[in-house]
Amino acid sequence: MNQTDSSCPNFQARLETASVLVHRAIDAVRQKRIQKRNLIWLELTGCSGNIISLLDGANPDFKSLASQMVNFIYDNSLMAAEGEAAMDQLFRLTGGDYILAVEGAVSTKNDGLYNIIGRRKDRPVTAYEAIKKFGEQASCVIAVGTCASDGGISAARPNPAECVGIQNLLKRKVIKLPGCPCHPDWFMGTLAYVMLFGEPELDDRQRPLMFYSTLIHDICPRRPYFDQGIFASKPGEKTCMFKLGCRGPVTRVDCPIRKWNERVNWPIGDDSPCIGCAMFGFPDKMEPFISYDTT
Amino acid sequence: MNDRDRINDNLNEMSDTIDCLYTTANSCVRNKLLNHLRRNVSNLSMLVQGLQIGESTNSSQISTGRLFTPDELAGYNGKNGNPAYVAVNGIVYDVSNVAAWGGATHFGLAAGADVTSQFASCHAGQPILGKLKMVGKMKE
Repeated sequence: MNQTDSSCPNFQARLETASVLVHRAIDAVRQKRIQKRNLIWLELTGCSGNIISLLDGANPDFKSLASQMVNFIYDNSLMAAEGEAAMDQLFRLTGGDYILAVEGAVSTKNDGLYNIIGRRKDRPVTAYEAIKKFGEQASCVIAVGTCASDGGISAARPNPAECVGIQNLLKRKVIKLPGCPCHPDWFMGTLAYVMLFGEPELDDRQRPLMFYSTLIHDICPRRPYFDQGIFASKPGEKTCMFKLGCRGPVTRVDCPIRKWNERVNWPIGDDSPCIGCAMFGFPDKMEPFISYDTT
Repeated sequence: MNDRDRINDNLNEMSDTIDCLYTTANSCVRNKLLNHLRRNVSNLSMLVQGLQIGESTNSSQISTGRLFTPDELAGYNGKNGNPAYVAVNGIVYDVSNVAAWGGATHFGLAAGADVTSQFASCHAGQPILGKLKMVGKMKE
C-alpha cells in the first residue's frame, strides 16, 4: 500500500515534469533559442538545507543545471571564491540581468544585524540589505523552501531575530516553493519553466500549480485506509496516520508521487506522519507533529 | 448559485477538459488539464457530501442535539476516548473524522473549544460548515 501506482498516467506525467522542462531548457540554450541566464542563490537566515537538497537532484541533476542551463554566479556554499572576492562576484551583477533564488528567511531585528552574509569594503552585508538590493532588481525571484516563502522555522515562536519571509520585504511578485527542504525537482522545473515560457501558472499563494496543485491526502497511497477508518495508533504501523496528527490533509504538494532522495521514499512511506513542512504556517501551525491516544 | 448548479458547472467543465485532453500532446498542458479534473472531482466530492449532510441534518440532528457549556465542550478534545468537537457561531460540530483535523488539531487549534473567530478569519464564505456533522448547540 506504500507504493505509488506506477501505471497511473497522471503520476507518470507528473514525475517527468521537471525532467522534461530542464532538458528542453538546456536544448534551447544549446541551440541559442533562449539566453543562458545568470542565477544568484542567496542563503539567508536558515539552515542551508535547500542548497544541499538541490545537490541531491537526479534527472534533472544539479550538474546539468549549473553547467548547461544557467550561469551559477553566486552561492556561498558552493562557489570557489571566498570572502570579499565572493562578495565582489555577487555585487558585480548589480544592475544586470539575473534570476534570484533565495533560501532562508530574513532577520529584521536591529536592521538585520542578526544575519550577516558577508563583508564588503570593511562593512557587514546583512541578509536584510541583500534581499532588498538584489530582490527588487532581479528579473524573477524564487523563494526556495519554507523559510524564504513564509518565515518557516527561522520565524518560529519566539522568533528572537524577528525573521520574516522574503515577500514581506519585497514589493513584487515572488514565486514560492515551500518545503523543508524544497525538492530539487520543484526548483529546477520552475526555473526551467521561467527561462522557457516566463512565469508558470501559480495558485493564490504564488505556488506553481504544476507541483503544488493537490493535497497530499488526495494522492496518498494510504488514502483507502482513511476512507475505511483504519488508523495507526503509533508510528511504524502501515495504515493511515490521521489520528497521529498527519498533516497530509492540509498540505498541498506532490511528495507521494515524487518522493525524496532520488525518489526512494517519503515520510509516510516510512511510517511517519506528514508534518506539513510544505504548508504555510509551518512549523508553529503544524504542531503538534505527533499526537497519541486520539479517539 | 445553489449547490446543484455548482455540480452541473463542474460536470460541464469536466466534459470540456476531457475533450481538450483528447487533442493535446503537450505534457505540460496535459498536466494542467489533469489538475483541473482533479480539482473538479474534489469540488464534486465536497458538494455531494454537503448535499448528503444537508439532507440528514434537515431531518432531526440539530433539533435533538444537546446543549453544551464551554466546560463541557472542553472535554470533547478528541483524547482518550472522547470525540473531537468544536463550536462555531453557537453550533457544535463533530470533527473527529474530519481529515483536516488530524490528531484533533488544526493549524494550531485544538478540539474542545469555540473557534468562531478563527473560523471567520480563515474560512469566511467557504462551504465548510454544511459538510460537518452537527451534534448540538452552545448554551446561551
